[in-house]
Amino acid sequence: MNTSPVYRAFALTAWIAGVFCLLVCGVMIYEHFAAATRDPWTSPRLLALREKLAAEPKNAALQKQIRQLDLEFRRKFRQRLALDKTGGWLLLGGALALVLAAGQAAALKKPPPLPQPQTGVRELAVKRASRARWSLAAVGFAAAGSLLIVRLGHTSVLPANPAAWQKLSAKAPEAPVEDAPALSEFQANWPRFRGWDGSGASAPASKAVSGILWRAAIPLPGNNSPIVWGDHVFISGGTAARREVYGYNASSGALLWQRAIENVPGSPPKVPEVPEDTGYAAPTMATDGRRVYVLFANGDLGALDFGGSIAWTRYLGPLNNPYGCATSLAIWGNNLLVQLDQGGSRPAGSKLILLQGASGRVLWERPRPVPASWATPIVVEAAGKTQIITLANPWVISYALADGNELWRAQLLENEIVPSPVLAGGLVVLLSPSARLLALRPDGAGDVTRTHLAWTSAENVPDIASPVSNGELVFTVTSSGMTTCFQTRDGKKIWEKELETDVQASPGIMDGRLFILGEHGPLVTLQAGREFREMGRIPLPDKFVASPAFAGGHVFLRGMTNLYCLGPAASGLAQQP
Amino acid sequence: MFRRLKWIGVLGMMLLPALMICAEQRFPPPDFESGYSLPSPSTPPTRCLWLQYADAGVFLAALAVAVWLIYKKRSRRGLFWLSLFSLAYFGFYRKGCLCPIGSPQNVVYGLFNPDYAVPVTALIFCFAPIAVTLFAGRAFCAGVCPQGALQDLVLVKPVAVPLWLEEALGVVPFIFLGAGLVCAGTGTGFVICRYDPLVPFFRLSGGTFILTAGAAFLLAGMFVGRPYCRFLCPYGGLLRLASLASKWRVRVTPDVCTQCRLCEQSCPFGAMREPAPAESNPASPAPERKRLAWLLALLPLLIIAGAWAGSKLSPAAAQLDPGVALAERYARQQSHPARYGLMTPEALSLDRAAANPGAVLASAADMRHRFDLACWLFGGWIGLVIGVKLIALSVRSGRTDYEPDRGACVACARCFTACPNERVRLGLAPAGGESAPS
Repeated sequence: MNTSPVYRAFALTAWIAGVFCLLVCGVMIYEHFAAATRDPWTSPRLLALREKLAAEPKNAALQKQIRQLDLEFRRKFRQRLALDKTGGWLLLGGALALVLAAGQAAALKKPPPLPQPQTGVRELAVKRASRARWSLAAVGFAAAGSLLIVRLGHTSVLPANPAAWQKLSAKAPEAPVEDAPALSEFQANWPRFRGWDGSGASAPASKAVSGILWRAAIPLPGNNSPIVWGDHVFISGGTAARREVYGYNASSGALLWQRAIENVPGSPPKVPEVPEDTGYAAPTMATDGRRVYVLFANGDLGALDFGGSIAWTRYLGPLNNPYGCATSLAIWGNNLLVQLDQGGSRPAGSKLILLQGASGRVLWERPRPVPASWATPIVVEAAGKTQIITLANPWVISYALADGNELWRAQLLENEIVPSPVLAGGLVVLLSPSARLLALRPDGAGDVTRTHLAWTSAENVPDIASPVSNGELVFTVTSSGMTTCFQTRDGKKIWEKELETDVQASPGIMDGRLFILGEHGPLVTLQAGREFREMGRIPLPDKFVASPAFAGGHVFLRGMTNLYCLGPAASGLAQQP
Repeated sequence: MFRRLKWIGVLGMMLLPALMICAEQRFPPPDFESGYSLPSPSTPPTRCLWLQYADAGVFLAALAVAVWLIYKKRSRRGLFWLSLFSLAYFGFYRKGCLCPIGSPQNVVYGLFNPDYAVPVTALIFCFAPIAVTLFAGRAFCAGVCPQGALQDLVLVKPVAVPLWLEEALGVVPFIFLGAGLVCAGTGTGFVICRYDPLVPFFRLSGGTFILTAGAAFLLAGMFVGRPYCRFLCPYGGLLRLASLASKWRVRVTPDVCTQCRLCEQSCPFGAMREPAPAESNPASPAPERKRLAWLLALLPLLIIAGAWAGSKLSPAAAQLDPGVALAERYARQQSHPARYGLMTPEALSLDRAAANPGAVLASAADMRHRFDLACWLFGGWIGLVIGVKLIALSVRSGRTDYEPDRGACVACARCFTACPNERVRLGLAPAGGESAPS
């Protein structure tokens, strides 16, 4: 036996370190099991209180009791985390001392090896191989036994064959689906950015537009365009501090209600910084005639009924858009479409989401391989399918509305994509800002860059305003007011005219008339035909960047401070406070 | 030369904190006005791309140094310090992730899930040690693996595991590898990482089960050299195979083997094998040949039986997937409604399933289909592993010297200085002395 003082010192250190490790381990294990009784998920006390609260939801004393108990659990949880961390380091140190000391002690105690020549190696090897084979067989049986136990311990109630799967799926209750308004109702109203199909063209109405019928103050700023359904006009406004939705009477301009969208679950109290030019309320709202839907630049999405009560809210953020989110919402039937393109020069979580309007439930979500964009998608019936056409640098991508699967894509775009596409004469007409006006056939599959481009034109290409078409002709307006008419069939330029006014809003067509809204007024009316003819100009006392809405023969405009309704010659301007 | 290397090492250590300072999240989390700091959603936290490449660079450099130390310097001391560096860097600093042990899962997940692009760093961590092993044996295990280094540190008094037991338990890593790749391929999860018993020590955090398992491995590791590497590590299994085909191999003696058996005593991992003497009676191998023939014939049967048994496991194994588990709970709730507490995970998950049961069931059906195929393959794999091992145990070795087993040797270099010839070469013992019996 080694009795040297060095050996004894190492052995004693190893013993002390071992006892220390055991003590620390003991405390940590005790704390671990004691903490199990304080688990908020399983605590019988807390669960009982919750059950009680479900029966008496307005019992404030009960709520306070639950909060206090929850807070106590959380405090203890954090204390335990701190204890675990300290214990972990102590254990690590103790184990290190134990191992080093024990190792040295063992090395000092170990006698020097004195191996003897080995005899009977052959027999030994044969015997060992035989044993190894049997023990391997035992391992195999043990593995099979373990798997059998796993199999028996996890019986499945799911059916084995596909038919039974379908039966089970069919038996599963689906969420109730409410009827959507008829298509004619959508067409008669202005339910989203640039009308029901995003084309900027309104249903025929024979009323003349010659002056302002009423104007109404808008409480908070925003660059979104008005939407109209029946006798209601909706807009939103927002700042970093507050974001609201406004419902106006379309006939009188009276502000019927205003509702703040706040306390959205998951939405952080501090909103991201957004450039002032974009603001917090740039996306235009949408409505399906049952509810109105609103999206703000901080990622808050909300649904309100026509009386201004909130139906549901969701937080879709945080949004990573260098100029702030400005893509408007789109609606199709009773489903809501949200295009959230994000990232600076590279894609960073861009996605397309279809939600059920009634519940806000996500029906599908698809990632998009593009960076941030500001164009609004359109939903079109083309090539026998309901397609969602989206734009973002560099791809035009079409998705199937039914399941969100990609149908086709074309690499045609450059620069920052702001103008939205339109469907005209069976072609998707779109702008690559300041570069090209393009027309695509929407009946392809896969990459159609080289196969489905119908025509392009590089003349007077806008960078902000979207094109508009009456089917036969396509009209574009540049930021400096240069208006150009193209033939939809082949892209041939028919005429061009400088309107001598700056323009940011997209043009619209109603009843054969082309409406172009100047940034500081006027509203210019042209004949939407093969020859240029100006039909009139209505001066306006505001600044306009939002696109006009057309419904019931009226034109609704959103200025910086007021909402305007224009229509047949007004005898006297009605002004709402 | 050594002095220059030392300075490069010191400079490298000084640059490490600079790398840590530069690590920033690509998308900064929102600031909370309450002062609450958002915890990282992943452990370790995500790193910017160039730091990941820097990790891969450090990894490749460590591999190169390990090979140099084993073959050129034949230095156990050098390997010891390299393994300490690896333990500190890849273990405690990088918290055991990304590591080669789990990286085959990334590769397999990428193969079966087109939406997932395997990171270049994962490919480097997965294939570089295998490539090195094909040429130079298990240099990764010797000095770069933090799990191995941790077990080496706790080894106090090694006892020999009987070779027959060692051989039998040697198939477990391959079974674990199969299970891990099945789970990764189906998209269920990375179970090799989840059930790595030593990673929780690098993170000073872990679940009860895995911490207990880790503590058990470390306690066993005080007396059994590297128990995790030998009897569980799936990547060790891969390297064991690659090492069998390696171009160069570790040689105990730089000269002629004196068969003194000192090296046998020095290996704590039971990797040293004695010479196999020639058969005195040429007729006696007949039963061995007969057994080998039987086992070769049995191999396809074992694979088929394993595949069949694996297929029976599919409904249970699929429940490892959270989507299938949710569908099971939902279906069970339809036939035998159970009452769960308000806002409990069970109740919340059932609410989620009830919101869109069609989608939940469709996803579960798809996953079950994947598991059907994967379990066939897994069962067949187990049959193959056991069959091949049985055959390997029935093949005679032609060794004439004491040599490390090519697959089992982790190239730790402990045996080098145990060899009298090596000691002579190093000048630690006189040439032609008594320590070299003829």
